[in-house]
Amino acid sequence: MSHLLAARIRTGLLWAAAVAVVLLYGFPFAYLVLTSFKPAVDAIAVPPTVLPERFSLDNYVTALNRPGVTASFVNSVSTAVIATLLSMALAIPAAWAITRYRTRTGRLLMAGSLLVRMAPAVAIGIPLVTILGAVNLTDTPTGLALAQTTVALPLSIWLLASFFEGVPREIEEAALVDGCGRFGALRRVILPVVSGGVAVTAIFAFLASWNEFLFALLLTSIRAQTTPIAIANFQSQFGLDWGPMTALATLYSVPAVVLTLLLQRRIVAGLSLGAVKG
Amino acid sequence: MSPAAQAAPPRTAPPAPAPAGGRRPRTRRGLSDAGYATLLAAPAVVVLLALVGWPLVKLAVDSLYTGSGLGDGRGFAGLDNYVTALTDPAIRAAAGRTLAYTVIVVTAELVLGLAVALLFHRLGPRARILQTLFLYPLMIAPVVAGLLWRFLMIDNVGIVNELLTRVGILDNPGDVSWLSDPDLVLFSVALPDIWLTTSFMTLVLYAGLQAIPPDLYEAARLDGARGLRLLVSVTLPLLRPVIAVALIIRGVDAARAFDVILIQTDGGPQSASETLSLTIYKTMVSYNDPGTAAATSTLFMIVMMAVAMVAVLTIWRPGKES
Repeated sequence: MSHLLAARIRTGLLWAAAVAVVLLYGFPFAYLVLTSFKPAVDAIAVPPTVLPERFSLDNYVTALNRPGVTASFVNSVSTAVIATLLSMALAIPAAWAITRYRTRTGRLLMAGSLLVRMAPAVAIGIPLVTILGAVNLTDTPTGLALAQTTVALPLSIWLLASFFEGVPREIEEAALVDGCGRFGALRRVILPVVSGGVAVTAIFAFLASWNEFLFALLLTSIRAQTTPIAIANFQSQFGLDWGPMTALATLYSVPAVVLTLLLQRRIVAGLSLGAVKG
Repeated sequence: MSPAAQAAPPRTAPPAPAPAGGRRPRTRRGLSDAGYATLLAAPAVVVLLALVGWPLVKLAVDSLYTGSGLGDGRGFAGLDNYVTALTDPAIRAAAGRTLAYTVIVVTAELVLGLAVALLFHRLGPRARILQTLFLYPLMIAPVVAGLLWRFLMIDNVGIVNELLTRVGILDNPGDVSWLSDPDLVLFSVALPDIWLTTSFMTLVLYAGLQAIPPDLYEAARLDGARGLRLLVSVTLPLLRPVIAVALIIRGVDAARAFDVILIQTDGGPQSASETLSLTIYKTMVSYNDPGTAAATSTLFMIVMMAVAMVAVLTIWRPGKES
């Protein structure tokens, strides 16, 4: 009996520890969100308080009225959409070729993608400034999306290859017997089977672009500025205006949180696959 | 097969016993399977060559010249830029800080990530909600994380010092200047990075733990192993390959850290938190010295590639059992 009690207490303590860890871990972000709903003066009050004493949307109004902020959201969305579409269009056939046919080129592409993922972004970004400048693509969402494809594409190839790996051969064979061509089998039969994996990969590609900073800093100035740069510029341009800054940072994190919520379970699978394998 | 190999199934494993007759016959269109595969992969290869290969070649070429290449200031410099990159005290110091920063981030993440992974593993699938919540920082942009932690740590006004004062660790909220004390700043700027990606470490290690067959623990328990002993003699050795992969991925990412640091301190005070990526960026943009920036990036790149190659060749080969 006391043995059972001791085991119960131990389990209880473990649960308490896990909850404490998650709360502690979530605190910084929760504090950011809470601060964004304080009136601007309370955001930098001394001493700071955790919970807002008065609720206010002032920070959001101020942040969104700053010149360039709404435009930066439009730019972030269009850049991320272009980068995602481009990465997926290239990665789907490439990943299928790699997993299904296992040629030497495929293995090279796989290893190459891994190497690209390890390259310091400055090393690619600095020459890209001149290269994209030569084709008049600096300071455009398309130019930035091309640069971010260097991050999103290798990631997509790896993730998709993991998902394709789980497709039984028989599915493609059945489609071929039914008269599909090889490409038709991929498009009409294989892709629907791995649609969940494709969706997760697209989300990761989107977030890779959405959260990207260094290329955006090097390759955009005014017209194509994305939100991370707008957030960073808040401090130099307007001094340290913490209230509106927390509001903008919160707004900017919404898509990431929503996308993650939408495909929660699958994302965990995607993260584990992408993580363990590459 | 070792548990680690199960966590990362062999990619290069031969397909299950091939049906008699071997390869699939050619299809009507006449393009062989290999040719078709090459055709499918070609666009991705071309784009990667254009957007990564070409820039890197250009980087290597630029590293041999001085000046911007725009006016008449460009001149062949041979290996001068490399001599500068290797001897300049500021660049050498930045390389040292990059290494220190990487070690700080990776060590902290490994210890915390392993602890949390063991906790979740112990609690099992019922703790799934907690696990998912714990993963959320992975989705947050580094620039937001950096900003957020800067806000948490600002002298006097930051909530971190306020809470530390309230629980009695600090006498006064102004006692620790996380981001303006040159001796402390490299640790402080690492905090958001650690916060952001400990989740990643936990995720990978948790997957590795799941793959360890329970009967191995049973056997060890029958032999009298308990608690820490079980961890050191059973869990950690079996987790070794997974830990190695995670360490390499995170190590490379930490070494490249840019936005997290830029947004917090811009490398300051007195360059005390300036890592190589920031130094290269500043050499290029603020000091307008593209030659040295290119040479430094090329060297940085070579070192990172060497690390990555070693990783690919030795660790990421779960199919090759030792």
